[in-house]
Amino acid sequence: MDFLSIDVGTILFTLINTLLIFLAFKHFLFKRVDGILEQRQAELAATYAAADDAQNAANADKEQYAKLMSEAKEETARIISRAEKQAQAKGDSIVEDARREAMAVREKADRDIAREMAQAKGELQGEISDLALELAQKIMEKEISGDDHSRLIDEFLEGMGDQA
Amino acid sequence: MHISDFFKGTTEISVTGPKIIASFEVFGVTINFTESILLSWIIIGAVTLLLMWLTKDMKTKNISKRQVLAEWAVQTVYNLVDDTMGKGNRKFAPYIGALFTFSILGSLISLFGLRSVTADFSVVLSWALITFIWVHATKLRTNGLWGYLKGYASPVFVMLPMNVLSEVSLPVSMSIRHFGNIASGMIISGLVYYALTSITKAIGVAFMTIGIPAVLSLYFDLFGSFMQAFIFIMLTMVNVANAAEAD
Repeated sequence: MDFLSIDVGTILFTLINTLLIFLAFKHFLFKRVDGILEQRQAELAATYAAADDAQNAANADKEQYAKLMSEAKEETARIISRAEKQAQAKGDSIVEDARREAMAVREKADRDIAREMAQAKGELQGEISDLALELAQKIMEKEISGDDHSRLIDEFLEGMGDQA
Repeated sequence: MHISDFFKGTTEISVTGPKIIASFEVFGVTINFTESILLSWIIIGAVTLLLMWLTKDMKTKNISKRQVLAEWAVQTVYNLVDDTMGKGNRKFAPYIGALFTFSILGSLISLFGLRSVTADFSVVLSWALITFIWVHATKLRTNGLWGYLKGYASPVFVMLPMNVLSEVSLPVSMSIRHFGNIASGMIISGLVYYALTSITKAIGVAFMTIGIPAVLSLYFDLFGSFMQAFIFIMLTMVNVANAAEAD
């Protein structure tokens, strides 16, 4: 064939060949790469969405924990203050009981003292009156009506006791 | 071809077109099956296999090196189309990539000692015709039939022959430029081989044909092939993009 020639057959074949190589590029390179790029884009978007979800969930958890923590703190404060109040009340009641008991003990002691004093006074009165009567009998050396004189002496001693 | 033949160098120069392998008649028209077509088929087959291998079981994560290459190639063509034709024209990217690859491999096949496919005027003329038809189809779609026809008579009716000439000159200049560069490179390389063989014979040093042709080949084959393929796709994209703008 001539160096510079226009050949119909070559042109026809070349048009077909160009179509073939175009189709090869389209189907085996561009379509496949586009597909994989789209797929990657979708995966990327999904990953971002998942990350956002995780972030939101973490934030929600954080808020939840903060709420729980503050509630727990309040609860603690309430428990402590209640315990303090209870302890105070209990302490007060213990002190009160102790005081009451002490008072009771003192009152009882006072009563015992008074009773024993009265008893001792009675006994002393009896002894003294007997002593005085005996003394008077011995002094007067005569029989005196026991009842009358004993009353006199009691009255006398009563006065003495009051003075004492 | 024997190794000894190679060291003998080139002893004669013949500037011819592609060889005709077979010839047959269809409806009275002679259809030639030339070596350009055979080499085109080899290129297309190799490219198809390469692409299938590159894009085999691609993944979205932990991608292989060949997938990186495939994605880079696609992205590069997309960027080029975006830059030249504007956004929204990515549907043309496969054709641009295919044309560039076909052109550059068609030229570089000379590195294997074969005849460049693009040194056949009919081949590059076919591509230029595709661009021509594409440009005019785009103009028709953009401006409508009346607007398209009116474009030839603008700015004044007297300009009609000039406008027609300028439209026709596009595929002619594109195809002649591509063909001329590659074919002249082929001829110059042949002449250099011939000259070096003569010098070898004259001074008796057998290795003059090694080294110097490699440097020339670097320019005429590698650089020239790349430049012509690039210029061809750039002109195609720019002209189509211009045609898409309403007058």
